[in-house]
Amino acid sequence: MTAPALDEVYGYVQERCLWQFSSRAWDRTENIDGVLGTLADLLTNTPVNPSSPTERLFLADARVLADQLRERFPDLGSLDAAGVRALLESLRERVTQVAITQSRNHELHEKAY
Amino acid sequence: MPMVLLRCDKDIPEREKHIYLKAPDDDPKDFLPLANSPTIPGTLSERGCAFCGAKLVIGGVLKDTIQMIHGPIGCAYDTWHTKRYPSDNGNLQIKYVWSTDMKEPDIVFGGEKKLEKAMHEAFDEMPHLKRMILYTTCPTALIGDDVKAVTKRVMEARPDVDIFTVECPGFAGVSQSKGHHVLNIGWVNEKVGTIEPEITSEYTMNFIGDYNIQGDTFLLQQYWDALGIQVIAHFTGNANYDDLRGMHRAKLNVVNCARSAGYIANELKRKYGTPRLDIDSWGFNYTAEGIRKISTFFGIEEKGEALIASEYAKWKPKLDWYKARLKGAKMAIWTGGPRLWHWTKAVEDDLGVEVVAMSSKFGHEEDFEKVIARGREGTYYVNDPNELEFFEIINAIKPDVIFTGPRVGELVKKLHIPYVNGHGYHNGPYMGFEGFVNLARDMHNAVHNPLFNLARTDVRATPVVELKEAV
Ligand code: SF4
Repeated sequence: MTAPALDEVYGYVQERCLWQFSSRAWDRTENIDGVLGTLADLLTNTPVNPSSPTERLFLADARVLADQLRERFPDLGSLDAAGVRALLESLRERVTQVAITQSRNHELHEKAY
Repeated sequence: MPMVLLRCDKDIPEREKHIYLKAPDDDPKDFLPLANSPTIPGTLSERGCAFCGAKLVIGGVLKDTIQMIHGPIGCAYDTWHTKRYPSDNGNLQIKYVWSTDMKEPDIVFGGEKKLEKAMHEAFDEMPHLKRMILYTTCPTALIGDDVKAVTKRVMEARPDVDIFTVECPGFAGVSQSKGHHVLNIGWVNEKVGTIEPEITSEYTMNFIGDYNIQGDTFLLQQYWDALGIQVIAHFTGNANYDDLRGMHRAKLNVVNCARSAGYIANELKRKYGTPRLDIDSWGFNYTAEGIRKISTFFGIEEKGEALIASEYAKWKPKLDWYKARLKGAKMAIWTGGPRLWHWTKAVEDDLGVEVVAMSSKFGHEEDFEKVIARGREGTYYVNDPNELEFFEIINAIKPDVIFTGPRVGELVKKLHIPYVNGHGYHNGPYMGFEGFVNLARDMHNAVHNPLFNLARTDVRATPVVELKEAV
């Protein structure tokens, strides 16, 4: 079995997840780090204990995404915990790059909503 | 290739920055149509005015509120009766409209007295109504009527009424989007937190950005009832004015229309720490995903799965019947903005329909990021389109059906292309599971309507001289 390629996983996340496209750069950063961080825990069977409403929301988004990725990319199961975390870290970098640092959206850095 | 200058735009080359044709292997970082920018002189935009965005889209939906429009009568008529958002109390908001009917002498000498009289008159005539939203329009903003001072006087004279002012004349922004913004921010600053709602469930949320178009809110409410979730405020489908004053007490803000109402969700997060969950409430796959996320947030996953299973059992066979007959149909979506990204994958995944062109009147660049991420290659993505562009794109992509508003819809009907009302719906509601079957049915009836084939047939015996445009 081969591990799913970053491009494929990124393609799915980009098409599926609204949280990466919220209004401002700071919201996007918070969501991308929060959801993908929780996703890494879920996919490596690390216990997740949300302590705030925002963390509960990250868990809700991440759990749905974890189920979708497991179904879509069964080869994820061939990765050990370090492999999953490495893949998700690359994914986080790619999503951050496209949705924030290299985004052409002029409103991302406006001070107010 | 990806940014496109259409032939009809040769004299307004600035339009190239607004039209994107997605090509294979495009890097998403390289292309994004310019959006929420001023309409280019020389293009006949189909945008609405900023006042319209506040009144017609959001405020005018409220079912217990006088909508006082301080301006000439046309501002009132243009924003009344064209959206089909019913209520469960007899559709007051669809039946009645209020205007100060400003005339030339009022513009010359000022309209504050006339406004004050009209506000009292409205409350006197409808003594059961105690809430009002007051809107300025271009003329009354230009003459500088102090509507806040008038509001203060009326509220002092009538302690049992509450009035919210929206100062967003038509010229305040580049499109109706500005009106959404002004109303959202004004409401959260002035009205949220001024009432304590009665809490009846440990699970509470606001459902933001759903306007009960043909009963969307009624339909979704069945799901929240089944899950035992109290919706403190629907922003603003079938809502009361005071429901929206208690939005600070919800534990979760669920956002459907992020364009018209994302601002209030952002502000509620900033001020009260309430998390914001964005979902798509059209489509089977998406609705199920939204219910799953909400249920997970509240820790009621089993209830959520049971609801999804029973809705699938009821509606999926019907959806599949339409899917078999719609597979491969080519669709264009020419609406305001968010329905582009809500619908493009939903119709593809649930119905096998290909979306080949999309245009947005008031979307921002954020909306284009979402829709380009979800949309197909070979599809046009257009910001602030004009009619000639529509014609040229229709020729290029030959859609089988166009989801758009009645104005453009009547236009494309003349080309013998069926349209479905993408704003107010044909026979909705369209949200949720049952709603998406309604959408599929309307699309099926449009695509397979035999009348269009008949209409295309020229039955005249002899060729007729073509009419030429005057030059
Ligand atoms: S543009 Fe100005 S005058 Fe025209 S309808 Fe809008 S508010 Fe009224």
